[in-house]
Amino acid sequence: MSETGCRHYQSYVKEHSYDTFRVIDAYFASCVNKEAREKKAIHCNCFECGNYAIQLYACLHCIYFGCRGAHITSHLRAKKHNIALELSHGTLYCYACRDYIYDARSREYALVNRKLEAKDLQKSLGWQPWIPTAKETNLLLANARRRLVRPNQTIGLRGLLNLGATCFMNCIVQALVHTPLLSDYFMSDRHDCGSKSTHKCLVCEVSRLFQEFYSGSRSPLSLHRLLHLIWNHAKHLAGYEQQDAHEFFIATLDVLHRHCVKAKSEHESKNSSGSSSTGNSSSGSSSTASHCYGQCNCIIDQIFTGMLQSDVVCQACNGVSTTFDPFWDISLDLGETTTHGGVTPKTLIDCLERYTRAEHLGSAAKIKCSTCKSYQESTKQFSLRTLPSVVSFHLKRFEHSALIDRKISSFIQFPVEFDMTPFMSEKKNAYGDFRFSLYAVVNHVGTIDTGHYTAYVRHQKDTWVKCDDHVITMASLKQVLDSEGLVELAT
Amino acid sequence: MSLSKCIDQYTILTGDRSKIKDIMVNRLIECGWRDEVRLVCRDVLLQRGSSKSIPIEQLIPEVTARARTLVPDAVKKELLMKIRSILSQENAEDKADGDGDGDGESDD
Repeated sequence: MSETGCRHYQSYVKEHSYDTFRVIDAYFASCVNKEAREKKAIHCNCFECGNYAIQLYACLHCIYFGCRGAHITSHLRAKKHNIALELSHGTLYCYACRDYIYDARSREYALVNRKLEAKDLQKSLGWQPWIPTAKETNLLLANARRRLVRPNQTIGLRGLLNLGATCFMNCIVQALVHTPLLSDYFMSDRHDCGSKSTHKCLVCEVSRLFQEFYSGSRSPLSLHRLLHLIWNHAKHLAGYEQQDAHEFFIATLDVLHRHCVKAKSEHESKNSSGSSSTGNSSSGSSSTASHCYGQCNCIIDQIFTGMLQSDVVCQACNGVSTTFDPFWDISLDLGETTTHGGVTPKTLIDCLERYTRAEHLGSAAKIKCSTCKSYQESTKQFSLRTLPSVVSFHLKRFEHSALIDRKISSFIQFPVEFDMTPFMSEKKNAYGDFRFSLYAVVNHVGTIDTGHYTAYVRHQKDTWVKCDDHVITMASLKQVLDSEGLVELAT
Repeated sequence: MSLSKCIDQYTILTGDRSKIKDIMVNRLIECGWRDEVRLVCRDVLLQRGSSKSIPIEQLIPEVTARARTLVPDAVKKELLMKIRSILSQENAEDKADGDGDGDGESDD
């Protein structure tokens, strides 16, 4: 497959330039704006039979639309026109070659139009084929050996040594390594580290970890370097005591997020100002980084950040004030409810219903209403504005109060596959797909003072394994669902 | 104008067609349909012998029937539901606007 089209297309471009292609593509293949959609809806039907057929072709020599097959080919033959554009995928067709042709420059123009269309319709960019860069092509040629991953293979599974009460870290690392989107990102080597001192960069370390996990070796790994980096970046986790796995999870996401932002800003400042020193910009960027949480597009935010909507309704005037907050996880209460007759939630769905229930704020907490300008009693209700690709649920099993610290060990039933539509702010969105499937469960056994963390993770399509430090064993779905659950991840 | 043409025009105009197409493409990739069709094409080419190349016009009709049967029912069902909900939503909005022009026929 050559990327310069065929000789007929080359001579066509010489004669007519790329203009016709660009206009036809922008109006009838991509529809970059409302005007284009109007034009397409009115004019774009087969000149032969009048149908808005499944696959229409546009002649690039004259004004003619025709269905796939006889209608377009008879036109091309009769008029001796060669080049046509297939409109549902935007592929070029050459009648002289009787084949689809691929031209790198046309593809670039088409991509611009696809992006404009996506922006105009507020949708994400449609699927694009992977075209390896020159660097990737060379890498593929240099490493001719391929590794075929078969079912029942253990590649991707490795135990993690316990370095002295570090099971809280091991189970979170196992869960993160088995996050499909995250492994895609790191396995395709997308992290472009701005700083030269890669041994200080946590993202580089995680990237290296993914390589280790999939290297095919089966001996357990030691995470001392990761632990050291986390200690340096999240001081509250330093020390040899047992830590809370959930806290570690959030801290890890935060540190990774800050590194991504920092690497990006360093990279950009390098690109913009040549190779000037970035000595003091790094300290500045790390402080802004923590503020733009939820607004950046680093890999962590792309995967884990969702948006929580909270509506405060004034009881006097029914005025609603709405605020949005980004979140990385949903923390769910497990204790008895105080207002609704002391019901304890039994399933994850119960917990979510409770989480999104309207809550009366009471007379002690009067809020100034922006509509009626007075302090009034009000109700507050959470709903989910947008969901992240990976939702993490944190069951609040550890209760810390002034009097007593205790662990709630009640069994919470959780589903393998579930639909989050009932908890969304906008339920009637035809394009919304809020279905999730479970892929990792972190468990805590023991009491609040002393205990041990393990994790169940989904390996390949539907195999579950239990990761207990350096020991990895097969597990059944029943075992996973019967476990207590502290942090649950679903994608 | 016939109902199906009317729907065609409407969905193109609102951009729904483009969005549905995206969902369809994603689903077909996710369920492995794309890879299966790729293998079917490969089989056809291998059966013909490697020396002769087949024009795309001959390959398409040979593969189409098999490719159609390979589309999982779940994908078909999901897309049907999506299309139905989109059209009923448009219908409801039209009625609310007060200019319902009586296209009460059900879609299929």
